[in-house]
Amino acid sequence: MATITGEIDNTWDDPRQRAPLVTGARTLHDVTDAVCRVVETEVRKTPLAWTVAFAISVSILGMLGLAIGYLFFTGVGVWGVNNPVGWGFAIINFVFWVGIGHAGTLISAILFLFRQYWRTGINRFAEAMTIFAVICALLFPGIHVGRVWLAYYMFPLPNQMGMWPQFRSPLLWDVFAVGTYFTVSLLFWYVGLIPDLASLRDRARTKLRKFLYGLFALGWTGSARHWHRYERAYLILAALATPLVLSVHSVVSFDFAVSQVPGWHTTIFPPYFVAGAIFSGFAMVMTLAIPAREFFGLKNLITMRHLENMNKIMLATGMIVGYAYSTEFFIAWYSGSVYEFFAFKSRALGPYAWAYWTMVTCNVVVPQIFWSKKLRTNIPIMFVASLLINVGMWFERFVIVISSLASDYLPSSWDYYRPTLIDILTLIGSFGLFFTFFLLFMRFLPMVAMAEVKMTMPQAHGHEPHTDGRRPTPEAHA
Amino acid sequence: MSQATLPAPARTAARGAANRPYGVLVEFDSPIDLKVAAEAARDEGFTRWDTHSPFPIHGMERAMGIRMTILPVLVFACGATGMLTGLFLQWWANASDPIAYQFVFEYIPTWFQAFLGYGFLVSGKPYFSLPANIPIIFELTVLFSAIGAVFLMFGINGLPCWNRPIFQCERFRRVTDDRFFLCVEAADPKFDPQRTLRWAESLGGAAVEVLYDRDESDDQPPAIFARVGLFSALLALIPLLIIVMARSSKSESPRWHIIQDMDNQERYKAQQAMPLFADGRSMRPVVAGTVARGAEFLQEDEHFFRGLVDAQLATSFPPRDPTRDEPLIVDDAFLRRGQERFNIVCAQCHGRDGIGQGLVNQRGLELTGDRGGAWVQATNMHDAEPRGRAHGHLFNTITNGIRTMPAYGDRIPERDRWAIVAYVRALQRARNARESDFPPDVLRELEARRP
Amino acid sequence: MSVQAAIDLSSDRIRVDDVAPDLAGRAGLVGGGALGVAVVLGFLGGSEAFFRGYLLNFAYFLSLTLGAFFFVLIQHATRAGWSVVVRRLAEQVMAGFPLMAALSLPLVLAILLGWPNGIHAVYAWTDPELVAHDALLQYKRGYLNGGFFFVRVLIYFGVWIWLGNYLYQRSLRQDVTGDVRLTSEMQAISSPGLILFALTTSFAAFDFLMSLDPHWFSTMFGVYYFAGAAVGAFALLAVLMFTLQAYGRLERCVTTEHYHDVGKLVFAFVVFWAYIAYSQYMLIWYSNLPEETGWYLVRQQGPWLAVSLALLFGHFIVPFLGLISRIPKRRKQTLLIGALWVLALHWVDMFWLVLPRNIGHGAEARVAGLDVWELIQCAVCFIGVGGVFVWGLAGRMARAALIPERDPRLGESLGFENL
Repeated sequence: MATITGEIDNTWDDPRQRAPLVTGARTLHDVTDAVCRVVETEVRKTPLAWTVAFAISVSILGMLGLAIGYLFFTGVGVWGVNNPVGWGFAIINFVFWVGIGHAGTLISAILFLFRQYWRTGINRFAEAMTIFAVICALLFPGIHVGRVWLAYYMFPLPNQMGMWPQFRSPLLWDVFAVGTYFTVSLLFWYVGLIPDLASLRDRARTKLRKFLYGLFALGWTGSARHWHRYERAYLILAALATPLVLSVHSVVSFDFAVSQVPGWHTTIFPPYFVAGAIFSGFAMVMTLAIPAREFFGLKNLITMRHLENMNKIMLATGMIVGYAYSTEFFIAWYSGSVYEFFAFKSRALGPYAWAYWTMVTCNVVVPQIFWSKKLRTNIPIMFVASLLINVGMWFERFVIVISSLASDYLPSSWDYYRPTLIDILTLIGSFGLFFTFFLLFMRFLPMVAMAEVKMTMPQAHGHEPHTDGRRPTPEAHA
Repeated sequence: MSQATLPAPARTAARGAANRPYGVLVEFDSPIDLKVAAEAARDEGFTRWDTHSPFPIHGMERAMGIRMTILPVLVFACGATGMLTGLFLQWWANASDPIAYQFVFEYIPTWFQAFLGYGFLVSGKPYFSLPANIPIIFELTVLFSAIGAVFLMFGINGLPCWNRPIFQCERFRRVTDDRFFLCVEAADPKFDPQRTLRWAESLGGAAVEVLYDRDESDDQPPAIFARVGLFSALLALIPLLIIVMARSSKSESPRWHIIQDMDNQERYKAQQAMPLFADGRSMRPVVAGTVARGAEFLQEDEHFFRGLVDAQLATSFPPRDPTRDEPLIVDDAFLRRGQERFNIVCAQCHGRDGIGQGLVNQRGLELTGDRGGAWVQATNMHDAEPRGRAHGHLFNTITNGIRTMPAYGDRIPERDRWAIVAYVRALQRARNARESDFPPDVLRELEARRP
Repeated sequence: MSVQAAIDLSSDRIRVDDVAPDLAGRAGLVGGGALGVAVVLGFLGGSEAFFRGYLLNFAYFLSLTLGAFFFVLIQHATRAGWSVVVRRLAEQVMAGFPLMAALSLPLVLAILLGWPNGIHAVYAWTDPELVAHDALLQYKRGYLNGGFFFVRVLIYFGVWIWLGNYLYQRSLRQDVTGDVRLTSEMQAISSPGLILFALTTSFAAFDFLMSLDPHWFSTMFGVYYFAGAAVGAFALLAVLMFTLQAYGRLERCVTTEHYHDVGKLVFAFVVFWAYIAYSQYMLIWYSNLPEETGWYLVRQQGPWLAVSLALLFGHFIVPFLGLISRIPKRRKQTLLIGALWVLALHWVDMFWLVLPRNIGHGAEARVAGLDVWELIQCAVCFIGVGGVFVWGLAGRMARAALIPERDPRLGESLGFENL
C-alpha cells in the first residue's frame, strides 16, 4: 500500500464540502511511509535521476566557485558595471533570489494564519526552498563589496577605527532584514522538522541514522503538553514571519525607492516588490514540486488541488504586479516630472525595450492563462508557465535596475550596460548552489510535513476518508 | 483486546535495580479514543501523566485540562527587548554625539574608544533619524521574538531530552506514525501498581504495557568517541601554538603580504629602468618642439616666482607680473589686496596686527601648553629678525613654510604672496614708524594731542 | 462529506425587522436634518468649509462601504468558510453603493459646474484662473477637469453598484432557493471583481483625495486609502456583530471564534495600514524631493502636527498593543472598544487627508490653521452623512435575514474553532 501513483483530480469545487487534501484514500501510515521511504533509501541505491541531477548541479556549483575566485583575485572590474550603470547583475540576482524565498514563508506563515490547510502538502518543501534561496541571495552582497575581507564592516562590530555602519542606509537595513529573515526561516523550518525527524528516528534501521535523526529530533515524544507549547510557538513564529516577509522585500525595495533616480523613486515599491516576490517564489515552488512529486511518488500528498491553488495565487500576485505597473505609469505621467515619464517611455521604447517586453509578456500575459480551469490543471503547461514567470521576474529586476541607471537625468551620461561572461556565469552558478542544497534536502530530509498533513486528514478527527479525492456522486453525501 | 505484558525482561532483572515501575502505557489506534481516555484520566485526578500522538489533536488541551502556556507573554518581552536594542544601537552608533567627548577623550581608555559612537552626516539627515531607523528596529524586534519563541519553547518543554524511559517501549515507535498513547507515571500520587493497571486496561486501548526504570550503566558512548575527542582537541591546539610561536619570535624575512590591496602595482615608478627605450629610462624627456603654455608653466621669472635675484633672496619687489603681463606696482590697491589676503590666510595664527596672537595660536597654546614644545608660537612680525629679512625671504616662507608653519604656496598665487609681503612690510613700518613717515597734517594733529 | 452540522438555529433570532425600520427612520431624520443644517452653515461660514467637511465624511463612509465590499469579494474568492455567518452584515454595508452615489452628488456636481466658489478652494484644478497661471495644472488638464472627473465617477459607481448588486442579490436569492450554483457564480465573479475593485478604488482615491493637492502625487495613495478602508470596515463589522447581539439577535450563531477572527483582521490591517503609511512617508522623507515633501511638511506644522502624532499613536501603536493578545479579541466588550477606537481614528485619518493645506501660493503660502467653520462642518456633516448611512444600512437590515440562511458553508462557519 506504500507506493502512490496516478493522478487523481481533487480540484472540484463544491461549496457544500471540502475536497480531500490527501488523495487515494490513504491511511496515516501511508503518509509516513510515502515520505520516509524516499529518505530511507540506502545511499547505494539512490535513484539514478537524483545522482545525475546532483552531479550536474555540483558542477555548476563548481563553476560558481571558479567565477567567484576569479572575482576575488582580479577585482570587481571583471563585472560589467561601470558609469552610469553602477549596479548590475549582483543586485538583480540578490533581489531575484530573496524574492523567490518569500513564497516559502508565505506558504508556511501567511497561509497558516489564514487556515489554508492545503499548505501542509508543500510547506516543508517551500520553506527549504526559502532557506536555500536566501543563501544564494546573501552570496551576492557578500561578494560584491570589492574588498571582501572587509565585509565585516557591514556589521555593528566595534573596531579599531571606531567606525560604525551607516544605519541610515537601506543597504544596511538589508543586512539586518535578510539576516533576520534567514534566521527566522531556518528556525521555523527546523521547528517544523522536529516531529518528522522523530518519525525518521523511530523508523531508522542503521545506528548512524538513528543517532543523527535522533540528535536533531531532540527527544521528541509527541507529548500533548509539548504539542501545546509547540503549536503556540509555531503560531507565534507564523505571526512574526508574516510581517517579516513583508518587511524584508520592502526593505529590499527601499534600496531603490529611497533614491532620487527616475523610475526608482516611487512610493508603491514596497508592496509591489512583495507581491512580485511571492509571484516568482510560487513559480519556483511549482518548478520544483512538479518533478519532485513525479519522481518521488508524492502525487497523493502534493495533489492537483495544491498545484491549482498555487496557480491561483500566482495569478493573483501577477495581477497585483500588473496593477503596480499601471499605477506607476499613470502617476509618472500625472506627476508632470519629465524625467519620471521619460523613464517609463524609455523602458518600453528605448534600448532595453527587448527586456521590458519580455518582462511584460512573462509577468502579465503568461499568468492570464490561469483564468482557464483547464489550463491551470494542466501539468506541462503550468510547468512551462512557472519557468517563464521566473524569467519574467528576473527581467523585471533587470529592467528596473539597468534601464533607470542607463538613462537617468543627464543625457550626456547615458550609456548601454553589457554584462560580462563572469556576470552570467555567476548567475548560472547560483542556480547550481541552490539546486545542490535542494537535491540534498530532497534526498536526506522529509520533503513533506507529515505531521501537518496528517492533521488535515479525516482520520485526525476519527473518520475514514469517504472519497479517494474524486468528486463524490450525489448519492454519497445525502 | 487489551493484554498486560510480563514484567521486565531478564536482562534488567538480573541487575537488580530495575524492577521499579516507571509508569503504565496504553496504546490506541484512534485519536478520538485517546481523547476519551484523556478525559477519563483527567477525571481520575492524575497529575503526572500525558498523552502522545503523531500530530496535535484538536481539543486535547481541554480534554486533558492543560492550561494555556505563558510563552506569548515571554515572547512579547523578548520582542520589546529587541526593539529597545535596535533603538539604542542606532542612537549610540550614529547619534551619541562624540563631539562632546573631546573634552574627556583623554580620560577614556583606548580599548573603550572602539565602542564610542561616531556621528557623521549623510545627505543632511539628522544624526538620530527615526524614520530611517525603523526598519532595523523592526527587524531586531522580530529576530529577538523569534529566537525567544523557539528557545523558550524548547526550554519550557524540556527539550532536548534524548533519554527517556518511554522510549524503551518498542510499540511506542509508532507514536510518530499512526498510533496514540496515554502514559501515567508511577511518580503520580494517585498511582497504584495494580489499580492503575486495571484502570488502564479498562480504557479499551489496543495494548497496555508497564514501563520500568532502566538501568543505564551500560549506556556509555562508544570508546571511540573519547579517543577521537582527545585527538581533535589536541589538533585544535596546533593553530594556537603556531600563533604563540609567531608572536614570541623574530624573523628576518619580510611579512606575508596576503591582501595586496593595490599595494604593488604593475606600473613604472619614477627613475625606474625600462628596457623598451634605447636610453633605458621610463621617464621620458619633453618631445622636441613642445611649446609651453604661458608664463605660469615655465616660471622663468625667478624674481616673481621664487623671490630670487641672481640666486640670492630678492631685496626688492619684482618689477613685472608675468601672469598678467604688466608691471607690478606696489600701490594702494596692491596693499589692500595684501591686507585682505593676510587677514584671510595669515591672521589666524599671526593675528591681524602681525604680533602672533591669532586665535589659532591661542588655541594651540591652550591645548598643548602644559606639554611644552608641541606648539610653536607664531612669529611676531615686528621682532628684529623678521624686520631684517629680505622680501624674498618672506616670500619664500609663505611659499615653502618655515619650522612648523606649513607651506602655503599651493593655496596662494604668487601675485598674492607678493601682496602679502608688501602688507607685512606696511605692518612692520606701522609698528616702528618714525616721524618722517607721517604726513605733515597728521603729525600736527598728533602733536596737538600730546598730553 | 457534508459539513452541514446539526446546529439548531431555530431558537436564534436572525431578523431585525421589528426594530430596524424605526432606527432607520430616526437616523434618516437626524441625518437629513444635519445635512440641511450643514448647507445652511455653508452659506454662513463659507462653502469651502462645507465642502471640506462634507468630503471628509463622504470619503469616510465610502471607505467603509468599499472595505465591506472588499471583505465580501475576498471571502468568495478564497472560498472561506469561517466568515459565512458574518458575511451578510458586510454585504448589507456593501449594498450601500447607490446611496453613496447619491451622497457624492454635492461634490461631483459642484466640480462639474464649478459652483459654489468654495469648490475652487478645495480642488484648485477646478478654478480656471488658477489653472491659467499654473503650468503644472495646465499639463494635467486632460485628466483633472470637471467633465472627465464626472465620467470617471460614473464609472466607479457604475462598477461598484453593478458588482455589489450582483453579489448581494444572489446572496439574498440563496436565502430562498438554497441553490448551490449561486455560490459558484459569486465565487467566479469575485476574482475579476477584485481587479476592478483595486483599480476603481485607487483611482477614486486619486480623484477625490489626492487631487486636493494637485501638484502632489504618490503611487501608494490608492493602497493607503484601501488599507484605511479595510481597517474601518472590519471594525464596523465587529461593532455590528456586537450591536445585533445586544439587541438579542444572532446570539448563538455568532460565537467567540467569529469575534476572534474579526479582531485578527482588524489587528492585521492596522499593522498593514501602518506599514503602508510608513512606507509612503519614509520614502518621501528620505529622498527629500521638494515636489513630494510639501504634502508632508504641511502635516508637520501648526495644529496638524498633533493630528499626525495622534495618528501614529492612536491609529497604530495603541490598537497594536491593545489587540495583540488573544484575550481582548475573544471578549466582545473589549473588541467593541477596540473597534470603536479604530473607527474613530480612521475618521481622524480622513481628517488628516482632507483638511491640512497651504493657503495662498508661491511666496505668500502659509499653512492653514484650524478653522472653526471647518471643524463645525466636519462634525455636522459627520452626523449628516452618517445618519443617512445608518438609515440606509438599517433599512437594508430590516428587509433581509442577518445571516445567509441557506449558504452551503453555513455549517462550517458555525462549527469552526480557533487555535
